[in-house]
Amino acid sequence: MTIPANCRPSQGDAPAFPVTTLPARGGVGLKPEHFREILDTAPDVGFFEVHAENYMVDGGPFHYYLGRIRQRHPISIHGVGLSIGGEEPLDAAHLDRLAALLARYQPESFSEHLAWASHGGVYLNDLLPAPYHVGTLARVCAHIDHVQERLQRRMLLENPATYVEFAASTMAETDFIGEVVRRTGCGLLLDVNNVHVASVNHNRDPRAYIRALPLKAVGQIHLAGFARDIDAAGDPLLIDSHDAPVAQVVWDLYAFALDLLGPLPTLIERDGDIPVFPVLLAEAQRADRIMRQQLAATAPAEACA
Amino acid sequence: MNKTMTTASLALALGAALTVAASPAFAADSAADKEKCYGVALKGKNDCKAGAGTSCAGTSKTDYQGNAWTLVPKGTCEKTVSSTSPTGKGQLAEFKEKKA
Amino acid sequence: MSAQRHFAEAVLAAEPLCPPGLMAWNGSDPARRFAVYRNNVMVSLIDALADSYPVTQDLVGEEFFRAMARLFVRTHPPRSPVLALYGAGLAEFIEGFAPAAVLPYLADVARLEMLRVQAWHAADAAPLGLADFAALLENAPALAATGFDLHPSLAVLRSAHAVVSLWAAHQAQDGTPDLTAVDPALPESALVLRIGLDVEIRRIPCATAQFILHLQQGLAFGAAAQFALDAEPAFDLPAVLGMLICGGAIINLCQPRREPA
Repeated sequence: MTIPANCRPSQGDAPAFPVTTLPARGGVGLKPEHFREILDTAPDVGFFEVHAENYMVDGGPFHYYLGRIRQRHPISIHGVGLSIGGEEPLDAAHLDRLAALLARYQPESFSEHLAWASHGGVYLNDLLPAPYHVGTLARVCAHIDHVQERLQRRMLLENPATYVEFAASTMAETDFIGEVVRRTGCGLLLDVNNVHVASVNHNRDPRAYIRALPLKAVGQIHLAGFARDIDAAGDPLLIDSHDAPVAQVVWDLYAFALDLLGPLPTLIERDGDIPVFPVLLAEAQRADRIMRQQLAATAPAEACA
Repeated sequence: MNKTMTTASLALALGAALTVAASPAFAADSAADKEKCYGVALKGKNDCKAGAGTSCAGTSKTDYQGNAWTLVPKGTCEKTVSSTSPTGKGQLAEFKEKKA
Repeated sequence: MSAQRHFAEAVLAAEPLCPPGLMAWNGSDPARRFAVYRNNVMVSLIDALADSYPVTQDLVGEEFFRAMARLFVRTHPPRSPVLALYGAGLAEFIEGFAPAAVLPYLADVARLEMLRVQAWHAADAAPLGLADFAALLENAPALAATGFDLHPSLAVLRSAHAVVSLWAAHQAQDGTPDLTAVDPALPESALVLRIGLDVEIRRIPCATAQFILHLQQGLAFGAAAQFALDAEPAFDLPAVLGMLICGGAIINLCQPRREPA
């Protein structure tokens, strides 16, 4: 049903170059705790990912280390502060900072969230949800057009982990994302943990959710750990906490997604209770193994030839 | 009586400073690989995680929600010579959290 | 009022609020679910402050610090998506915060810690080499009228309290500060400077602080030195210059931007 995003002309003249050139391997979120060890040991890892806003500072150790690590490894830059789902126009100064950062580090991939964080000049530092209706759709598409035009590249949009739904929504999240991809030509960052978290939180079938996405647009995958809570009715409420290893249920969903998608750059995200680097490397290598197994299972004829 | 900074005393001071800066002891101290000693003490403050737990869940990361202020500083300040000043006393009871 | 304004105000509200229009698949009260967002925002911003102000937190204890930080976040939420320097107004907030008035030095300790964070992230700049200074000596008559551009990370804090001693006592490797020898009521000045990749904080004499501040404000070398000597006859200019040169604090020679007042 879906048509490859880069085959469609977008409203602007978004160039048709690939949305990511990261290798189809496991990657690891880059944390300051691991800067030194990564430089000293040059680990064999597919790529490193950083949060854009952490490097929007003038100088000092963050740029020193990222500059050196970037010389040896592919990197992806993942924004958390653009507020693409916001009601207000994008923050032009922030977009300028982002453009400068991308020009400096030339990342293989740039992604942002289907969420908002800024309103009325205040930045709330969380990925906040928006209702899915034609008004939000028009705003999100306009914002993504603006971003792609300013950055002169295609971006990946990440599906959200949410805790509430809106009475005002008139579209399913998957239809909303499909329409955004169709209209803007952006790629999709499939966060498998977010799919699991949101599916539990909203009583959805995660596999049906994945099948309903514009899968040809997926350029990268995120995996992370979650925390458990309950809602007011006592039903499970999962929280996208990034402070634990990837759960088995998310690894299983990842394997399901790979059967549909084939191998893709896959990030292990960890933002809290940061373990020693080899623990994260091992999770990235587990993603590599699953990708190899999936390739072997889907291409038996070539394997025997 | 105040001394005056003459050109000669400025030059003398700079010369002395350069002698120190060029000394082998300083050169060894600032060897090229000194950065190996440095860790990065600060975290990146932007990330896309959620704090675990809701405000009702009673997790360790859930923060105090109360409205009336009842706390007093109870940290290492208690170990200083003059750990409290008399001026602060008596204000605590009157302090209430103001709404934004 | 827009839907996102309702949402944003409820996120930061002191009392647990829930914006209109939210729902859950099982018909449960959405306020409980919305509380996740309230908690995420508050905890992440308080954590950001705790990361920037570790000594301030140690001094008052975690419970007091986090409760105070919660009030600060609510009244001073971030204005930028870049959080590296978030919380620069905490010292001023502490000055007006009655429960912290028992610790008159707390605001200046917070000030020092924010200067340290700012120094970490300040722009990079190559220091002048020894040869550049040697060349300056060749033309001694011009020396007094030369200005010095200082490193972007450099800052001086003059305090009526023993800020450097208080801060330094909390840097003990074993994590248990020895404050028995610190009298918080003694005035101190601090030099903050990033050297290599690390930020150093040093206690400097008052006259040295004045000298460096004058240079930073664009006064010529000779005038800045004269001010310091007038303030303190024991002002040790060679030692101060040595410290600045060795620390890479002087990055350029320049025309003075200011006349002595």
